[in-house]
Amino acid sequence: MGIFRYFKNVVMGLYNLCVGLSITTKYFFKKTTTQQYPEERLPLPERSRSMIKLIYDGEKDQFNCVACMMCAKACPNSCIKLEGVRDEGGKRRMTTFKLDFSTCIFCGYCVEACGFDALTFVSEEYENSVYKRGSLLQDENAMKWARPAHLAPKTEEPAAAAAPAGA
Amino acid sequence: MFTGENIVQTVVGLLHSLYGMVGLSSFQGILDPIVAAVVMFHFIAVFVMFLVWMERKVSAHMQSRIGPNRVGVFGLLQTLADAIKLTIKEDVKPVKRDKIPYYIAPIIAFVATFMGMVVIPFDKGMVVQDLNIGLLYIIAITSFTVIAILTAGWSSNNKFALLGGFRSAAQIVSYEVPLVLSLVPIIMITGKLSLGAIVAYQQQQGYWFVIPQAIAFLIFITSATAEANRAPFDIPEAESELIGGFHTEYSGVKFAMFFLGEYIAVVVSSAVASTVFLGGWLPFPFMGFLHLPGFVWFMAKLLLVIYLIMAFRWTFPRLRVDQLMDFGWKVLIPISIINILVTGFWILLVAKGA
Repeated sequence: MGIFRYFKNVVMGLYNLCVGLSITTKYFFKKTTTQQYPEERLPLPERSRSMIKLIYDGEKDQFNCVACMMCAKACPNSCIKLEGVRDEGGKRRMTTFKLDFSTCIFCGYCVEACGFDALTFVSEEYENSVYKRGSLLQDENAMKWARPAHLAPKTEEPAAAAAPAGA
Repeated sequence: MFTGENIVQTVVGLLHSLYGMVGLSSFQGILDPIVAAVVMFHFIAVFVMFLVWMERKVSAHMQSRIGPNRVGVFGLLQTLADAIKLTIKEDVKPVKRDKIPYYIAPIIAFVATFMGMVVIPFDKGMVVQDLNIGLLYIIAITSFTVIAILTAGWSSNNKFALLGGFRSAAQIVSYEVPLVLSLVPIIMITGKLSLGAIVAYQQQQGYWFVIPQAIAFLIFITSATAEANRAPFDIPEAESELIGGFHTEYSGVKFAMFFLGEYIAVVVSSAVASTVFLGGWLPFPFMGFLHLPGFVWFMAKLLLVIYLIMAFRWTFPRLRVDQLMDFGWKVLIPISIINILVTGFWILLVAKGA
């Protein structure tokens, strides 16, 4: 190794170390990106899948569910139990709905299977830990969820259905 | 005026009158060093706690994190909580350890570095004992850590600890040489080994030694980082290779003493760097009109150098063992010898001729 190359290596090494130090110093004064979870919460995407809910129609004052049992059949763990009756108008109506979240794996097959827009995933409820296992067995009152208007499925709108190019 | 010297004189005067009140005036010569040691110990313990917090904050902000912020204001009491945890922890010991060295090693590691604080001048006259061989004393005393680390590695009866100890011996012996050689030009220029005299020389000349001796400063900082076993020279305790190196088998208070020793080594080296190269208690350039007491300037410089060493740790990747030896023997030592030669010619031709 020639003497000039030796000194060149030393000087270049020193320069490269200074480059590294300048990067860390720059980051030292930058804003931190940590979110301190219990105090600060990041907004979740509207359609992120956190918890399964029963859609409640406020205008008709009833659940959308008609107790067709498709969700209970689709469930791989058989954690959905529901009952329904046929009311005086001849329409089927759900009376009790129980979902045991202690065995639910959140595969979403029940939501897929639902043909009446009655089951859905919601985004905001993701803190689901409880102290007793029995608390995970939720009934229709615990799963009641009124869908805000901006989350309504787009296929129901006649204009969107008529003009698929615009969707 | 409110200076370090006045504070020390006032405190010592009060202390001596206190001795008189309890009738211990004849033991003044024994009691004074004890009081100084106790004061210095408490200062260094609190300062190291602050440094651990500072290191965690510096590393956190360099990685866009926040760092400790839960215990106390800004997380300042985090280290205290850690220290309490370490002291009340179960002391796990290897059965086949070599008992006496196993207990002595952490004590040496702590005491050897702590003794270096004796000659550090915080302000003019604000020093435990300004020895006339101050620099030599610090170099001699702080190299005791290699004995502690070797003893710890040997007595733990663990292959990782032993490897860590051997690596440390190789490293500290190699980097002791450029450390001393980088200080030689300063001793040649000033003709003094006392740290107070070196600062007084810088005051008299009107410049800090970091300007004519920038290369020596860089070599000193590098070797001091290696001496303190800190990253990027932390091969004696390289986590990815040796678990914890020499302190693998230590837990509880003994581990805390190694930890304390490491940080005191950083403080002592940074204090020497800020005294010898950055003018000690002299104010920063163009800021002398502030008339702050000298120890404020000294602490500012000390923290600056410590920040630099922390930035090294969180910027540079660890060196391999052969790279470490190459760097020490093939780069640092030749360059510091060239630096000594150039300084010698400068003294011979310019300083003496003028």
